[in-house]
Amino acid sequence: MRTHSRSTAWFLASPWVIAFALFGLYPFLFSLGASFTDYTPLAPSSTRFVGLANYTRALNDPAFWSALRNTALFVIGTIPFTTAAALALAIAVQPAFRGRTLFRVGFFLPSVVSIVVLSLVFKGLYANHGGLNGLLSALHLPTPAWLQNPRTALPAIMAMDVWSASGYYMIIFLAGLEGIPRDLYDAARLDGADGWARFTHITLPLLRPTLLFVLVVNSIRSLQIFAEVFVMTRGGPLGSTTTVVYHLYEQAFSRFQLGQASAVAYLLFVLSLGLAWVQMKAVGAQEQSRS
Amino acid sequence: MSDSREQELAPPPPPWAMSIRRWLWLIPLLLATLLPFAWMVALSISPNAGNSMAKALQGPWDLSQYQTLFRSAGVGRYLLNSLGVAVVVVILNVVTAAMVGYVLGRKRIPGERFWTLGIVATLMVPKQTLMIPLYLVLARLHLLDTYAALILPFAVDAFGIFLVRQYVTQLPIELEEAARVDGATDWQIFREVALPLLKPVLAVVAIQAFLTNWNSFLFPLIFVDSDRLRTLPVGLALLSQTEHSVDWGFLMAGSTVASLPVVAVFVAFQRQILSGLLAGAEK
Repeated sequence: MRTHSRSTAWFLASPWVIAFALFGLYPFLFSLGASFTDYTPLAPSSTRFVGLANYTRALNDPAFWSALRNTALFVIGTIPFTTAAALALAIAVQPAFRGRTLFRVGFFLPSVVSIVVLSLVFKGLYANHGGLNGLLSALHLPTPAWLQNPRTALPAIMAMDVWSASGYYMIIFLAGLEGIPRDLYDAARLDGADGWARFTHITLPLLRPTLLFVLVVNSIRSLQIFAEVFVMTRGGPLGSTTTVVYHLYEQAFSRFQLGQASAVAYLLFVLSLGLAWVQMKAVGAQEQSRS
Repeated sequence: MSDSREQELAPPPPPWAMSIRRWLWLIPLLLATLLPFAWMVALSISPNAGNSMAKALQGPWDLSQYQTLFRSAGVGRYLLNSLGVAVVVVILNVVTAAMVGYVLGRKRIPGERFWTLGIVATLMVPKQTLMIPLYLVLARLHLLDTYAALILPFAVDAFGIFLVRQYVTQLPIELEEAARVDGATDWQIFREVALPLLKPVLAVVAIQAFLTNWNSFLFPLIFVDSDRLRTLPVGLALLSQTEHSVDWGFLMAGSTVASLPVVAVFVAFQRQILSGLLAGAEK
Protein backbone atom coordinates (compact mmCIF):
# COMPACT_ATOMS: atom_id res chain seq x y z
CA MET A 1 0.00 0.00 0.00
CA ARG A 2 2.97 2.35 -0.27
CA THR A 3 3.25 2.53 -4.04
CA HIS A 4 1.51 5.86 -4.57
CA SER A 5 3.15 9.27 -4.54
CA ARG A 6 3.68 11.32 -1.43
CA SER A 7 2.73 14.57 -3.13
CA THR A 8 -0.90 14.40 -1.97
CA ALA A 9 0.30 13.75 1.56
CA TRP A 10 2.52 16.79 1.50
CA PHE A 11 -0.25 18.87 -0.03
CA LEU A 12 -2.61 17.86 2.77
CA ALA A 13 0.04 18.63 5.40
CA SER A 14 1.05 21.94 3.82
CA PRO A 15 -1.27 24.23 5.88
CA TRP A 16 0.37 23.11 9.09
CA VAL A 17 3.89 23.21 7.66
CA ILE A 18 3.36 26.79 6.41
CA ALA A 19 1.54 28.04 9.49
CA PHE A 20 3.99 26.40 11.89
CA ALA A 21 6.93 27.92 10.02
CA LEU A 22 5.45 31.38 9.52
CA PHE A 23 3.48 31.92 12.73
CA GLY A 24 5.27 29.54 15.07
CA LEU A 25 8.89 28.70 14.49
CA TYR A 26 9.94 31.85 12.63
CA PRO A 27 8.56 34.37 15.15
CA PHE A 28 9.85 32.20 17.99
CA LEU A 29 13.41 32.15 16.65
CA PHE A 30 13.29 35.73 15.35
CA SER A 31 12.33 37.11 18.73
CA LEU A 32 14.78 34.82 20.49
CA GLY A 33 17.43 36.55 18.37
CA ALA A 34 15.85 39.95 18.95
CA SER A 35 15.97 39.43 22.70
CA PHE A 36 19.80 39.61 22.46
CA THR A 37 19.74 42.88 20.48
CA ASP A 38 18.39 46.41 20.83
CA TYR A 39 16.01 45.72 17.91
CA THR A 40 13.12 48.11 17.45
CA PRO A 41 10.74 47.96 14.49
CA LEU A 42 11.05 51.75 14.17
CA ALA A 43 14.76 51.53 13.19
CA PRO A 44 15.58 47.91 12.30
CA SER A 45 18.76 48.84 10.39
CA SER A 46 20.58 50.18 13.46
CA THR A 47 20.14 46.94 15.42
CA ARG A 48 23.13 46.02 17.58
CA PHE A 49 23.93 42.86 19.51
CA VAL A 50 23.66 43.59 23.22
CA GLY A 51 24.17 40.11 24.70
CA LEU A 52 22.20 39.43 27.83
CA ALA A 53 21.52 43.13 28.52
CA ASN A 54 17.76 42.76 27.94
CA TYR A 55 17.60 39.83 30.34
CA THR A 56 19.64 41.51 33.06
CA ARG A 57 17.57 44.68 32.69
CA ALA A 58 14.33 42.67 32.85
CA LEU A 59 15.57 40.77 35.90
CA ASN A 60 16.67 43.98 37.61
CA ASP A 61 13.34 45.65 36.95
CA PRO A 62 11.32 45.75 40.20
CA ALA A 63 8.16 45.95 38.08
CA PHE A 64 8.96 42.51 36.64
CA TRP A 65 9.38 40.97 40.08
CA SER A 66 6.22 42.61 41.30
CA ALA A 67 4.36 41.22 38.27
CA LEU A 68 5.86 37.79 38.90
CA ARG A 69 4.84 37.95 42.55
CA ASN A 70 1.26 38.91 41.63
CA THR A 71 1.10 36.09 39.09
CA ALA A 72 2.44 33.59 41.63
CA LEU A 73 -0.13 34.77 44.18
CA PHE A 74 -2.79 34.37 41.55
CA VAL A 75 -1.73 30.82 40.68
CA ILE A 76 -1.30 29.70 44.30
CA GLY A 77 -4.47 31.41 45.42
CA THR A 78 -6.80 30.12 42.70
CA ILE A 79 -5.69 26.65 41.70
CA PRO A 80 -6.46 24.78 44.95
CA PHE A 81 -9.95 26.30 45.06
CA THR A 82 -10.68 25.81 41.37
CA THR A 83 -9.43 22.23 41.46
CA ALA A 84 -11.38 21.33 44.60
CA ALA A 85 -14.56 23.00 43.35
CA ALA A 86 -14.26 21.39 39.92
CA LEU A 87 -13.72 17.93 41.40
CA ALA A 88 -16.61 18.31 43.85
CA LEU A 89 -18.93 19.49 41.07
CA ALA A 90 -17.82 16.65 38.79
CA ILE A 91 -18.53 14.03 41.47
CA ALA A 92 -21.87 15.68 42.18
CA VAL A 93 -23.08 15.73 38.57
CA GLN A 94 -21.65 12.36 37.47
CA PRO A 95 -24.33 9.84 38.55
CA ALA A 96 -27.69 9.79 36.81
CA PHE A 97 -30.26 12.05 38.46
CA ARG A 98 -33.03 14.29 37.28
CA GLY A 99 -31.85 17.55 35.73
CA ARG A 100 -28.23 16.39 35.46
CA THR A 101 -27.67 17.93 32.01
CA LEU A 102 -29.10 21.25 33.17
CA PHE A 103 -26.56 21.41 36.01
CA ARG A 104 -23.65 20.39 33.78
CA VAL A 105 -24.58 23.02 31.18
CA GLY A 106 -25.23 25.68 33.82
CA PHE A 107 -21.92 25.21 35.63
CA PHE A 108 -20.05 25.21 32.34
CA LEU A 109 -21.76 28.35 31.02
CA PRO A 110 -19.20 30.91 32.31
CA SER A 111 -16.52 29.08 30.29
CA VAL A 112 -18.11 29.87 26.94
CA VAL A 113 -18.68 33.57 27.61
CA SER A 114 -15.96 36.09 26.69
CA ILE A 115 -13.61 36.98 29.54
CA VAL A 116 -14.14 40.62 28.59
CA VAL A 117 -17.86 40.20 29.27
CA LEU A 118 -17.23 38.36 32.56
CA SER A 119 -14.79 41.07 33.59
CA LEU A 120 -17.22 43.88 32.76
CA VAL A 121 -19.97 42.13 34.73
CA PHE A 122 -17.71 41.62 37.76
CA LYS A 123 -16.38 45.15 37.52
CA GLY A 124 -19.99 46.25 37.91
CA LEU A 125 -20.59 43.78 40.74
CA TYR A 126 -17.45 44.94 42.57
CA ALA A 127 -18.09 48.68 41.99
CA ASN A 128 -18.58 50.94 44.98
CA HIS A 129 -22.36 50.93 44.79
CA GLY A 130 -22.44 47.74 42.74
CA GLY A 131 -24.21 44.44 43.16
CA LEU A 132 -21.94 42.89 45.77
CA ASN A 133 -21.78 45.93 48.05
CA GLY A 134 -25.54 46.38 47.68
CA LEU A 135 -25.95 42.88 49.07
CA LEU A 136 -23.33 43.41 51.81
CA SER A 137 -24.84 46.69 53.00
CA ALA A 138 -28.29 45.09 53.14
CA LEU A 139 -26.72 42.53 55.50
CA HIS A 140 -24.99 45.36 57.46
CA LEU A 141 -21.55 44.07 56.50
CA PRO A 142 -18.57 46.29 55.57
CA THR A 143 -18.48 47.37 51.91
CA PRO A 144 -14.87 47.74 50.78
CA ALA A 145 -13.94 49.42 47.50
CA TRP A 146 -12.95 46.04 46.06
CA LEU A 147 -11.05 47.08 42.94
CA GLN A 148 -9.66 50.37 44.28
CA ASN A 149 -7.93 48.85 47.29
CA PRO A 150 -4.49 47.28 46.65
CA ARG A 151 -5.25 44.63 49.30
CA THR A 152 -8.55 43.44 47.81
CA ALA A 153 -8.16 44.05 44.05
CA LEU A 154 -6.15 40.92 43.22
CA PRO A 155 -8.23 38.61 45.46
CA ALA A 156 -11.36 40.02 43.82
CA ILE A 157 -10.06 39.07 40.37
CA MET A 158 -8.97 35.67 41.71
CA ALA A 159 -12.46 35.02 43.09
CA MET A 160 -13.91 35.72 39.67
CA ASP A 161 -11.43 33.31 38.12
CA VAL A 162 -12.41 30.49 40.48
CA TRP A 163 -16.07 31.20 39.73
CA SER A 164 -15.55 31.19 35.96
CA ALA A 165 -13.02 28.34 35.57
CA SER A 166 -14.47 25.66 37.91
CA GLY A 167 -17.14 24.54 35.44
CA TYR A 168 -14.57 24.03 32.72
CA TYR A 169 -12.36 21.75 34.82
CA MET A 170 -15.48 20.02 36.14
CA ILE A 171 -15.99 18.65 32.61
CA ILE A 172 -12.37 17.48 32.42
CA PHE A 173 -12.76 15.68 35.76
CA LEU A 174 -16.00 14.13 34.51
CA ALA A 175 -14.02 12.59 31.63
CA GLY A 176 -11.61 11.12 34.18
CA LEU A 177 -14.41 9.82 36.43
CA GLU A 178 -16.10 8.11 33.48
CA GLY A 179 -12.89 6.12 32.99
CA ILE A 180 -13.01 4.57 36.48
CA PRO A 181 -14.67 1.13 36.39
CA ARG A 182 -17.92 1.05 38.39
CA ASP A 183 -17.29 -2.42 39.80
CA LEU A 184 -14.31 -1.11 41.78
CA TYR A 185 -16.77 0.97 43.81
CA ASP A 186 -19.16 -1.96 44.16
CA ALA A 187 -16.35 -4.19 45.41
CA ALA A 188 -15.21 -1.53 47.88
CA ARG A 189 -18.77 -1.15 49.10
CA LEU A 190 -18.97 -4.89 49.76
CA ASP A 191 -15.73 -4.62 51.73
CA GLY A 192 -17.40 -1.98 53.86
CA ALA A 193 -15.54 1.10 52.60
CA ASP A 194 -17.48 4.30 53.31
CA GLY A 195 -17.83 7.22 50.89
CA TRP A 196 -14.67 8.98 52.05
CA ALA A 197 -12.63 5.78 51.89
CA ARG A 198 -13.89 5.07 48.38
CA PHE A 199 -12.93 8.63 47.40
CA THR A 200 -9.40 8.45 48.82
CA HIS A 201 -8.67 4.85 47.80
CA ILE A 202 -10.33 4.61 44.40
CA THR A 203 -11.33 7.98 42.98
CA LEU A 204 -8.22 10.00 43.84
CA PRO A 205 -5.53 7.45 42.84
CA LEU A 206 -7.26 6.56 39.57
CA LEU A 207 -7.92 10.21 38.84
CA ARG A 208 -4.26 11.15 39.17
CA PRO A 209 -3.59 11.53 35.41
CA THR A 210 -6.64 13.80 35.09
CA LEU A 211 -5.59 15.72 38.17
CA LEU A 212 -2.15 16.23 36.64
CA PHE A 213 -3.68 17.39 33.38
CA VAL A 214 -5.96 19.88 35.17
CA LEU A 215 -3.12 21.24 37.33
CA VAL A 216 -0.79 21.74 34.37
CA VAL A 217 -3.37 23.22 32.02
CA ASN A 218 -4.80 25.49 34.70
CA SER A 219 -1.43 26.78 35.91
CA ILE A 220 -0.27 27.52 32.38
CA ARG A 221 -3.56 29.31 31.76
CA SER A 222 -3.25 31.24 35.02
CA LEU A 223 0.22 32.44 34.06
CA GLN A 224 -1.44 34.14 31.10
CA ILE A 225 -4.13 36.17 32.90
CA PHE A 226 -4.56 39.39 30.94
CA ALA A 227 -8.07 40.42 29.81
CA GLU A 228 -9.40 40.47 33.39
CA VAL A 229 -6.67 42.89 34.44
CA PHE A 230 -7.01 45.03 31.31
CA VAL A 231 -10.76 45.47 31.79
CA MET A 232 -11.09 45.62 35.58
CA THR A 233 -8.04 47.41 36.93
CA ARG A 234 -5.47 48.15 34.20
CA GLY A 235 -2.89 46.69 36.56
CA GLY A 236 -3.68 49.01 39.45
CA PRO A 237 -4.14 50.15 42.11
CA LEU A 238 -0.41 50.71 42.71
CA GLY A 239 0.50 47.83 40.41
CA SER A 240 -1.17 45.36 42.76
CA THR A 241 -2.89 43.50 39.90
CA THR A 242 -0.16 43.78 37.24
CA THR A 243 0.38 40.20 36.08
CA VAL A 244 3.33 39.04 33.97
CA VAL A 245 1.42 39.16 30.70
CA TYR A 246 -0.05 42.57 31.53
CA HIS A 247 3.46 43.78 32.35
CA LEU A 248 4.62 42.31 29.03
CA TYR A 249 1.82 44.09 27.18
CA GLU A 250 2.56 47.46 28.81
CA GLN A 251 6.26 47.16 28.16
CA ALA A 252 5.83 46.19 24.52
CA PHE A 253 2.85 48.23 23.42
CA SER A 254 2.78 51.27 25.71
CA ARG A 255 6.52 51.80 26.16
CA PHE A 256 7.74 49.99 23.00
CA GLN A 257 10.66 48.33 24.81
CA LEU A 258 10.43 45.31 22.53
CA GLY A 259 13.85 43.82 23.28
CA GLN A 260 13.28 43.81 27.02
CA ALA A 261 9.68 42.67 26.54
CA SER A 262 10.91 39.75 24.39
CA ALA A 263 13.24 38.80 27.21
CA VAL A 264 10.29 38.81 29.62
CA ALA A 265 8.30 36.69 27.15
CA TYR A 266 11.07 34.07 27.11
CA LEU A 267 11.27 34.05 30.88
CA LEU A 268 7.51 33.41 30.90
CA PHE A 269 7.99 30.62 28.37
CA VAL A 270 10.68 28.94 30.47
CA LEU A 271 8.52 29.39 33.56
CA SER A 272 5.55 27.67 31.89
CA LEU A 273 7.66 24.74 30.75
CA GLY A 274 9.26 24.49 34.18
CA LEU A 275 5.89 24.48 35.90
CA ALA A 276 4.60 21.72 33.64
CA TRP A 277 7.76 19.70 34.26
CA VAL A 278 7.72 20.11 38.05
CA GLN A 279 4.08 19.08 38.25
CA MET A 280 4.61 16.03 36.08
CA LYS A 281 7.55 15.01 38.26
CA ALA A 282 5.61 15.62 41.46
CA VAL A 283 2.61 13.55 40.42
CA GLY A 284 4.85 10.89 38.88
CA ALA A 285 6.83 10.54 42.11
CA GLN A 286 3.63 10.22 44.14
CA GLU A 287 2.39 7.56 41.78
CA GLN A 288 5.61 5.56 42.18
CA SER A 289 5.63 5.82 45.96
CA ARG A 290 2.06 4.46 46.03
CA SER A 291 2.50 1.52 43.73
CA MET B 1 -22.15 8.11 54.45
CA SER B 2 -24.45 5.46 55.83
CA ASP B 3 -23.35 1.99 56.78
CA SER B 4 -22.47 -0.18 53.79
CA ARG B 5 -24.58 -3.13 54.92
CA GLU B 6 -27.64 -0.98 55.09
CA GLN B 7 -26.97 0.33 51.58
CA GLU B 8 -26.44 -3.16 50.32
CA LEU B 9 -29.70 -4.51 51.70
CA ALA B 10 -31.89 -1.48 51.08
CA PRO B 11 -33.27 -1.08 47.56
CA PRO B 12 -31.56 1.68 45.55
CA PRO B 13 -33.16 5.02 46.43
CA PRO B 14 -35.88 6.08 44.01
CA PRO B 15 -34.55 8.58 41.46
CA TRP B 16 -36.74 11.39 42.78
CA ALA B 17 -35.49 11.15 46.36
CA MET B 18 -31.88 10.95 45.22
CA SER B 19 -32.39 13.78 42.74
CA ILE B 20 -33.99 16.07 45.28
CA ARG B 21 -31.20 15.44 47.79
CA ARG B 22 -28.70 16.54 45.14
CA TRP B 23 -30.79 19.56 44.16
CA LEU B 24 -30.73 20.83 47.74
CA TRP B 25 -27.11 21.81 47.47
CA LEU B 26 -26.61 22.03 43.72
CA ILE B 27 -29.39 24.55 43.07
CA PRO B 28 -27.86 27.27 45.30
CA LEU B 29 -24.53 26.70 43.55
CA LEU B 30 -26.17 26.88 40.14
CA LEU B 31 -27.90 30.12 41.10
CA ALA B 32 -24.59 31.56 42.29
CA THR B 33 -23.08 30.61 38.92
CA LEU B 34 -25.89 32.18 36.93
CA LEU B 35 -26.60 35.24 39.12
CA PRO B 36 -23.98 37.50 37.46
CA PHE B 37 -25.59 36.80 34.09
CA ALA B 38 -29.05 37.60 35.44
CA TRP B 39 -27.61 40.86 36.82
CA MET B 40 -26.11 41.63 33.40
CA VAL B 41 -29.39 41.14 31.55
CA ALA B 42 -31.43 42.95 34.21
CA LEU B 43 -29.26 46.07 34.05
CA SER B 44 -29.23 46.01 30.25
CA ILE B 45 -33.00 46.47 30.10
CA SER B 46 -33.28 48.97 32.99
CA PRO B 47 -32.33 52.42 31.72
CA ASN B 48 -32.57 54.13 35.13
CA ALA B 49 -30.92 51.55 37.34
CA GLY B 50 -27.22 52.42 37.07
CA ASN B 51 -25.60 49.37 38.58
CA SER B 52 -28.14 48.77 41.30
CA MET B 53 -29.93 45.43 41.21
CA ALA B 54 -32.64 46.76 43.54
CA LYS B 55 -33.51 49.56 41.11
CA ALA B 56 -33.28 47.19 38.15
CA LEU B 57 -35.94 44.97 39.72
CA GLN B 58 -38.34 47.92 40.08
CA GLY B 59 -38.28 48.76 36.35
CA PRO B 60 -39.23 50.34 34.03
CA TRP B 61 -37.74 48.04 31.45
CA ASP B 62 -37.10 48.80 27.79
CA LEU B 63 -34.56 48.20 25.05
CA SER B 64 -33.36 51.81 24.81
CA GLN B 65 -29.81 50.89 25.84
CA TYR B 66 -29.61 48.39 23.00
CA GLN B 67 -30.70 51.16 20.61
CA THR B 68 -27.94 53.45 21.90
CA LEU B 69 -25.48 50.61 21.46
CA PHE B 70 -26.20 50.16 17.76
CA ARG B 71 -27.19 53.74 16.79
CA SER B 72 -24.51 55.86 18.42
CA ALA B 73 -21.75 53.61 19.69
CA GLY B 74 -20.99 51.74 16.48
CA VAL B 75 -21.29 48.35 18.14
CA GLY B 76 -23.05 47.01 15.03
CA ARG B 77 -19.77 47.31 13.17
CA TYR B 78 -17.89 45.45 15.94
CA LEU B 79 -20.54 42.74 15.85
CA LEU B 80 -20.20 42.31 12.07
CA ASN B 81 -16.40 42.25 12.35
CA SER B 82 -16.57 39.56 15.03
CA LEU B 83 -19.05 37.48 13.02
CA GLY B 84 -17.14 37.83 9.75
CA VAL B 85 -13.75 37.01 11.26
CA ALA B 86 -15.18 34.10 13.26
CA VAL B 87 -16.89 32.56 10.20
CA VAL B 88 -13.75 32.78 8.05
CA VAL B 89 -11.51 31.43 10.83
CA VAL B 90 -13.91 28.54 11.51
CA ILE B 91 -13.99 27.56 7.83
CA LEU B 92 -10.20 27.71 7.52
CA ASN B 93 -9.76 25.80 10.77
CA VAL B 94 -12.11 23.01 9.70
CA VAL B 95 -10.53 22.64 6.24
CA THR B 96 -6.95 22.63 7.48
CA ALA B 97 -7.68 20.44 10.52
CA ALA B 98 -9.30 17.86 8.21
CA MET B 99 -6.35 17.89 5.81
CA VAL B 100 -3.49 17.87 8.29
CA GLY B 101 -5.19 15.73 10.91
CA TYR B 102 -5.96 13.07 8.31
CA VAL B 103 -2.40 12.91 7.00
CA LEU B 104 -0.93 12.72 10.49
CA GLY B 105 -3.49 10.18 11.65
CA ARG B 106 -2.70 7.90 8.69
CA LYS B 107 1.06 8.46 9.10
CA ARG B 108 1.36 9.16 5.39
CA ILE B 109 4.12 11.69 5.75
CA PRO B 110 7.84 11.40 6.49
CA GLY B 111 8.63 12.64 9.96
CA GLU B 112 5.04 12.17 11.15
CA ARG B 113 6.29 11.91 14.74
CA PHE B 114 8.18 15.18 14.40
CA TRP B 115 5.12 17.05 13.12
CA THR B 116 2.86 15.58 15.79
CA LEU B 117 5.38 16.50 18.45
CA GLY B 118 5.43 20.05 17.05
CA ILE B 119 1.66 20.18 17.43
CA VAL B 120 1.72 18.95 21.01
CA ALA B 121 4.49 21.45 21.82
CA THR B 122 2.45 24.25 20.26
CA LEU B 123 -0.46 23.26 22.49
CA MET B 124 1.73 23.43 25.60
CA VAL B 125 3.36 26.79 24.91
CA PRO B 126 1.35 29.76 26.15
CA LYS B 127 0.32 31.74 23.08
CA GLN B 128 1.05 35.02 24.85
CA THR B 129 4.77 34.36 24.70
CA LEU B 130 4.41 34.75 20.94
CA MET B 131 2.56 38.05 21.08
CA ILE B 132 5.56 40.26 20.36
CA PRO B 133 7.19 38.06 17.68
CA LEU B 134 3.84 37.56 15.94
CA TYR B 135 3.32 41.31 16.02
CA LEU B 136 6.74 41.82 14.43
CA VAL B 137 6.09 39.20 11.74
CA LEU B 138 2.77 40.80 10.86
CA ALA B 139 4.50 44.20 10.74
CA ARG B 140 7.08 42.81 8.30
CA LEU B 141 4.36 41.33 6.11
CA HIS B 142 2.53 44.72 6.24
CA LEU B 143 -0.52 42.96 7.63
CA LEU B 144 -0.95 44.92 10.89
CA ASP B 145 -4.28 46.69 11.15
CA THR B 146 -5.98 44.54 8.50
CA TYR B 147 -8.57 41.77 8.66
CA ALA B 148 -5.78 39.39 7.60
CA ALA B 149 -4.06 40.03 10.95
CA LEU B 150 -7.21 38.81 12.71
CA ILE B 151 -7.49 35.73 10.50
CA LEU B 152 -4.21 34.35 9.12
CA PRO B 153 -2.32 33.63 12.38
CA PHE B 154 -5.39 31.70 13.62
CA ALA B 155 -6.34 29.92 10.37
CA VAL B 156 -4.47 26.74 11.30
CA ASP B 157 -5.05 25.57 14.84
CA ALA B 158 -3.01 22.90 16.59
CA PHE B 159 -5.87 21.78 18.83
CA GLY B 160 -8.21 21.10 15.89
CA ILE B 161 -5.52 19.17 14.03
CA PHE B 162 -4.80 17.14 17.15
CA LEU B 163 -8.49 16.26 17.63
CA VAL B 164 -8.81 15.10 14.00
CA ARG B 165 -5.55 13.15 14.20
CA GLN B 166 -6.73 11.26 17.29
CA TYR B 167 -10.07 10.57 15.61
CA VAL B 168 -8.45 9.29 12.40
CA THR B 169 -6.17 6.85 14.23
CA GLN B 170 -9.30 5.16 15.60
CA LEU B 171 -11.07 4.92 12.24
CA PRO B 172 -10.83 1.54 10.50
CA ILE B 173 -8.62 1.81 7.45
CA GLU B 174 -10.38 -0.96 5.46
CA LEU B 175 -12.71 1.38 3.57
CA GLU B 176 -9.79 3.46 2.33
CA GLU B 177 -7.84 0.37 1.32
CA ALA B 178 -10.84 -1.00 -0.56
CA ALA B 179 -11.13 2.29 -2.44
CA ARG B 180 -7.44 2.10 -3.31
CA VAL B 181 -7.85 -1.41 -4.68
CA ASP B 182 -10.67 -0.02 -6.83
CA GLY B 183 -8.17 2.43 -8.29
CA ALA B 184 -9.06 5.62 -6.42
CA THR B 185 -6.35 8.29 -6.15
CA ASP B 186 -5.11 9.59 -2.79
CA TRP B 187 -7.10 12.75 -3.25
CA GLN B 188 -10.29 10.86 -4.10
CA ILE B 189 -9.82 8.68 -1.05
CA PHE B 190 -9.48 11.75 1.15
CA ARG B 191 -12.42 13.62 -0.38
CA GLU B 192 -14.89 10.83 -0.92
CA VAL B 193 -14.05 8.16 1.63
CA ALA B 194 -12.34 9.79 4.63
CA LEU B 195 -13.93 13.24 4.73
CA PRO B 196 -17.54 12.02 5.20
CA LEU B 197 -16.35 9.86 8.10
CA LEU B 198 -14.72 12.88 9.75
CA LYS B 199 -17.95 14.88 10.00
CA PRO B 200 -18.54 14.35 13.76
CA VAL B 201 -15.05 15.45 14.79
CA LEU B 202 -15.09 18.35 12.31
CA ALA B 203 -18.29 19.58 13.94
CA VAL B 204 -16.44 19.63 17.26
CA VAL B 205 -13.52 21.50 15.66
CA ALA B 206 -15.89 24.08 14.15
CA ILE B 207 -17.67 24.75 17.43
CA GLN B 208 -14.45 25.01 19.45
CA ALA B 209 -12.94 27.32 16.85
CA PHE B 210 -16.01 29.54 16.93
CA LEU B 211 -16.03 29.83 20.73
CA THR B 212 -12.29 30.52 20.93
CA ASN B 213 -12.25 33.04 18.14
CA TRP B 214 -15.40 34.88 19.20
CA ASN B 215 -13.95 35.45 22.66
CA SER B 216 -10.38 36.18 21.59
CA PHE B 217 -9.10 39.45 23.06
CA LEU B 218 -5.36 40.00 23.39
CA PHE B 219 -4.37 39.45 19.75
CA PRO B 220 -7.20 41.50 18.20
CA LEU B 221 -6.31 44.21 20.72
CA ILE B 222 -2.68 44.49 19.62
CA PHE B 223 -2.91 43.53 15.92
CA VAL B 224 -5.56 46.08 14.99
CA ASP B 225 -5.65 49.78 15.72
CA SER B 226 -8.47 51.19 13.61
CA ASP B 227 -11.91 51.49 15.14
CA ARG B 228 -13.53 50.10 11.97
CA LEU B 229 -11.65 46.77 12.30
CA ARG B 230 -12.33 46.16 15.99
CA THR B 231 -14.02 42.99 17.14
CA LEU B 232 -16.75 43.02 19.76
CA PRO B 233 -14.71 42.07 22.86
CA VAL B 234 -12.04 44.66 22.05
CA GLY B 235 -14.64 47.30 21.20
CA LEU B 236 -16.48 46.66 24.47
CA ALA B 237 -13.33 46.70 26.58
CA LEU B 238 -12.23 50.01 25.07
CA LEU B 239 -15.73 51.53 25.31
CA SER B 240 -15.73 50.71 29.03
CA GLN B 241 -12.56 52.71 29.49
CA THR B 242 -13.20 55.82 27.40
CA GLU B 243 -16.46 56.66 29.17
CA HIS B 244 -16.12 59.51 31.64
CA SER B 245 -18.70 58.10 33.96
CA VAL B 246 -19.35 54.41 33.45
CA ASP B 247 -22.76 53.72 31.95
CA TRP B 248 -23.41 50.25 33.34
CA GLY B 249 -26.70 49.60 31.58
CA PHE B 250 -25.10 50.39 28.24
CA LEU B 251 -22.07 48.16 28.90
CA MET B 252 -24.29 45.34 30.13
CA ALA B 253 -26.38 45.62 26.95
CA GLY B 254 -23.14 45.28 24.97
CA SER B 255 -22.08 42.34 27.11
CA THR B 256 -25.42 40.65 26.53
CA VAL B 257 -25.06 41.11 22.76
CA ALA B 258 -21.54 39.64 22.92
CA SER B 259 -22.76 36.65 24.97
CA LEU B 260 -25.84 35.71 22.97
CA PRO B 261 -24.10 34.03 20.00
CA VAL B 262 -21.80 31.87 22.14
CA VAL B 263 -24.52 30.94 24.60
CA ALA B 264 -26.83 30.03 21.69
CA VAL B 265 -24.12 27.91 20.06
CA PHE B 266 -23.31 26.31 23.41
CA VAL B 267 -26.88 25.41 24.28
CA ALA B 268 -27.53 24.09 20.76
CA PHE B 269 -24.34 22.01 20.60
CA GLN B 270 -23.56 21.31 24.25
CA ARG B 271 -23.26 17.60 23.54
CA GLN B 272 -20.52 18.10 20.91
CA ILE B 273 -18.74 20.80 22.95
CA LEU B 274 -18.55 18.74 26.09
CA SER B 275 -17.56 15.58 24.16
CA GLY B 276 -14.87 17.53 22.30
CA LEU B 277 -13.44 18.66 25.62
CA LEU B 278 -13.54 15.12 26.93
CA ALA B 279 -11.71 13.86 23.84
CA GLY B 280 -9.06 16.54 24.34
CA ALA B 281 -8.68 15.67 28.01
CA GLU B 282 -8.07 12.02 27.30
CA LYS B 283 -4.97 13.07 25.34
